[in-house]
Amino acid sequence: MRAEPAHPPAPGAAAGPSWRRWLLRYEVLLLLVLVVEWLLFYHFGTSVNRRGVTVGFGTLDRQFDILRHSCEIGLLALALTPVILTGGIDLSVGSLLGLCAVVFGGLTHALGLPLPVAAALTLVVGAVAGGLNAGLICQLRLPPLIVTLGTYSLFRGLAEAFTRGSVTYSDFPAGFLVLGQGRWGGLPVQAWLFLAVAVSVWIWIHRTVAGRACRVIGFAPEGARFAGIGVRGQLTAAYVAAGVIAALAALIYTSRLGQAKADAGLGYELFAITAVVLGGTSIFGGRGTVTGTLLGVAAIAVLKNGLATLPVVMRLNAAEELAGLLTGALLLAALAAGKLAERLRLSSVTG
Amino acid sequence: MNRWIREWSVVGVLALLLAYLAWRAPAFFQLQPLLSLLAREAPSLVVACGVAMVIIVRQIDISVGSQFSVCSVIAGLLAAAGWPLAAVVPVAVLIGGSLGLVNGLLVAWLGLPSIVVTLATLVALRQCLNLVRQGEFVNLPERIQWLGLSQSQGQWLLVGGAVGLVAVLAWGLRHLAAGRWLYAVGSDAEAARLAGIRPRAVTLGTFVLMGALTGIAAMMNVVQSPQVQPLTGSGLELKAIAAAVVGGVAISGGRGTVWGVLAGLLLLACISPAMVHLHIDAYWEKAIQGLIILAAVMVEGLRRRRNHAR
Repeated sequence: MRAEPAHPPAPGAAAGPSWRRWLLRYEVLLLLVLVVEWLLFYHFGTSVNRRGVTVGFGTLDRQFDILRHSCEIGLLALALTPVILTGGIDLSVGSLLGLCAVVFGGLTHALGLPLPVAAALTLVVGAVAGGLNAGLICQLRLPPLIVTLGTYSLFRGLAEAFTRGSVTYSDFPAGFLVLGQGRWGGLPVQAWLFLAVAVSVWIWIHRTVAGRACRVIGFAPEGARFAGIGVRGQLTAAYVAAGVIAALAALIYTSRLGQAKADAGLGYELFAITAVVLGGTSIFGGRGTVTGTLLGVAAIAVLKNGLATLPVVMRLNAAEELAGLLTGALLLAALAAGKLAERLRLSSVTG
Repeated sequence: MNRWIREWSVVGVLALLLAYLAWRAPAFFQLQPLLSLLAREAPSLVVACGVAMVIIVRQIDISVGSQFSVCSVIAGLLAAAGWPLAAVVPVAVLIGGSLGLVNGLLVAWLGLPSIVVTLATLVALRQCLNLVRQGEFVNLPERIQWLGLSQSQGQWLLVGGAVGLVAVLAWGLRHLAAGRWLYAVGSDAEAARLAGIRPRAVTLGTFVLMGALTGIAAMMNVVQSPQVQPLTGSGLELKAIAAAVVGGVAISGGRGTVWGVLAGLLLLACISPAMVHLHIDAYWEKAIQGLIILAAVMVEGLRRRRNHAR
């Protein structure tokens, strides 16, 4: 994988040999954090598996567990990366996950459609929902934050209305549950899907003209228009893709838990946004990488699962809380460090 | 008139809804249920006004829900420990203010994007509270409830207090120099700086005020129930932002009024009881609220487009 500059080098930043520049890249620093995290948990962590036998954090089972549990939030984070790169935001992905899960449950149970048809229709629902966001944002030029706040409420509300707040769809056939619980080629099945989406988004963002256009729009929307970029088309693609990926995440979620309920994915959008921003993507758009997002997702997932294996934390029964607290602190620290580095760089140029 | 058309249109929709209710479900207008509804919404109103001010300076605060919970739980603990109400209220306001100060310092002095900062404090504060309290309820002493008055007296006092606070804020934003600073900074921070206003100080002050208002709102909520639930206030941030946006506060900063927010919040708050009275399935509430938010921004967008075309 060729290291590509994530943003035009700032004046003065190009100094020094290339390995040093590479080492100071944000992704590399994040990778370092991840490795330190992992080693700490590997050393201090213990846990008890389903048969009551104590297993360490480092076991393969544990790693697969982490992978399984972070796929859905990881997918949402991948969906949000292009959107945030264009300078937008999508708060509705978590609600859309809930809506798609319920739609899928309804299609298979209430209408009795065969699984592949229902799954395809669910992806279409995701695309349509993304298209609704895109239409309001691009055609009417409304602020993405407010539009997706509205659809955040709308999608969750529709999911609640369809299920009357209480219906839970379960009893999915075993063939479908493989998607979220089975293994294929040694890895959890959903990991392959996640990998496929990650590679596609990576190619889109880092290897195509369309991906470059997304960043240009994030840097300067007006400038992008003058440069002849079809801003509306690019934005529409980003929001529709986010909808489709959220629908895919809904299928995986439903399969992993074996049930579909209106509260599926509640609050996931916050974790996904946190992962993207922790991965070094600027919330104002124009700057960021897919690799960074993947590392951000991994850092949060390892932190959450690793803390649960520490004896102290297990005694306090506080893994989730500590993970949330540390994620928040990590996010602020990453932002503040970025800001300070920028100031240092500026002062070294002018001084 | 034309200048405030956005606010008046919300008032108009609210009036239409109330008129329809008066025709189809006159039972909606019984005094006691209506008073309870207003008292229940009073804390949200105070928070929504704070959020509106933050949005007017072109920032956003999504951590208010967590701030609200922290203030509620600490106030509840102090009250349970025997502190008098007169001491608990200032402490709650102080805690809210200092939480706002943290957000404000990170945003105004470090220059970090407010949406990310408050996202981080939203998660961190909430989890911190869970960690310390493990989801435990706080049982409140009886003397705290309804400020030691009877229920309806307490409700009148809360509604009156909230309305008074909103009136003061509305007046301050319109007529005080400090109020105009918010609009100046929100419209164009650089121009405001050149005009002798200190944008950073204004932003910091707005976040602190937001926190203090959250503290007041938390107290308004605490006195209404015999227990403090640690999850109270989760989701409040989105409700407050929705009320502000429906009430005509522009997310791009520099535009909006407190009385518009009042109308927006009342409209959103009336949906749920109105649905009960009109025998509509209650599960549609969230979807309808979402549609109202979308309708409000769409009207705004279409109006702007027409103005551009002219």
